[in-house]
Amino acid sequence: MISVQQEDFQVQALYERLLKSNQTGAVAMFVGLVRQFADLPKDACTFELEHYPGMTEHNLQSIVDEANTRWPLLDVCVVHRVGRLSVDDQIVFVGVSASHRAEAFQACDFIMDYLKSRAAFWKKETQGEQSQWVSAKEDDALSLARWSDSQV
Amino acid sequence: MNSISVVFFSSLRESLGLGEYSFTLNAPMTIGELKKQLAERLDNGQALLASGIQSSVDFDFARDNDVISDTAREVAFFPPVTGG
Repeated sequence: MISVQQEDFQVQALYERLLKSNQTGAVAMFVGLVRQFADLPKDACTFELEHYPGMTEHNLQSIVDEANTRWPLLDVCVVHRVGRLSVDDQIVFVGVSASHRAEAFQACDFIMDYLKSRAAFWKKETQGEQSQWVSAKEDDALSLARWSDSQV
Repeated sequence: MNSISVVFFSSLRESLGLGEYSFTLNAPMTIGELKKQLAERLDNGQALLASGIQSSVDFDFARDNDVISDTAREVAFFPPVTGG
């Protein structure tokens, strides 16, 4: 399941979707949140996520397809929110179910690294009256390089 | 001749003051060549030539030396992505 949506998500419900009767031995999940990015009251900091409808979903599907070729996975769920968010809001969920933990952990890590660098999302932070687009981090490119033989 | 839609996102869209632009490809052209032509045509078009500007053709990431196929419908330019 891949979803790009404005609405919040329920981790428990997504977890239950990942379970396959009698087969699932491990579920790895990651949740990304909006953290406070300025020394201002919480409600003075807002956060906006832009995406490229069509491309973003296509990117996420390519990343999940690549994970499925690398590891024997039972199911993958990626939910990413867009639009206006506030500090402490959930942004992204990646969940992977598999027979064993190693592939579940690795695939979850892989999907997040690729999502950071190869999916069409852009963040804009607003502090009081001032807005600025978030710059890509060099660390994210280095994280991606760990999986260097990927075709995504 | 092939008419394509060129779309812009994030800070690049704001710098150009433009979200979408229609462009007619009269001959095979690379992404890099399209970028240079747009940089000359559009107000504040130099923003397209900033380092790190990325591109896609019909939703697939592309590089400057990729030739835009004559069946292409949409090319996008945008700064590095920052999701997650």
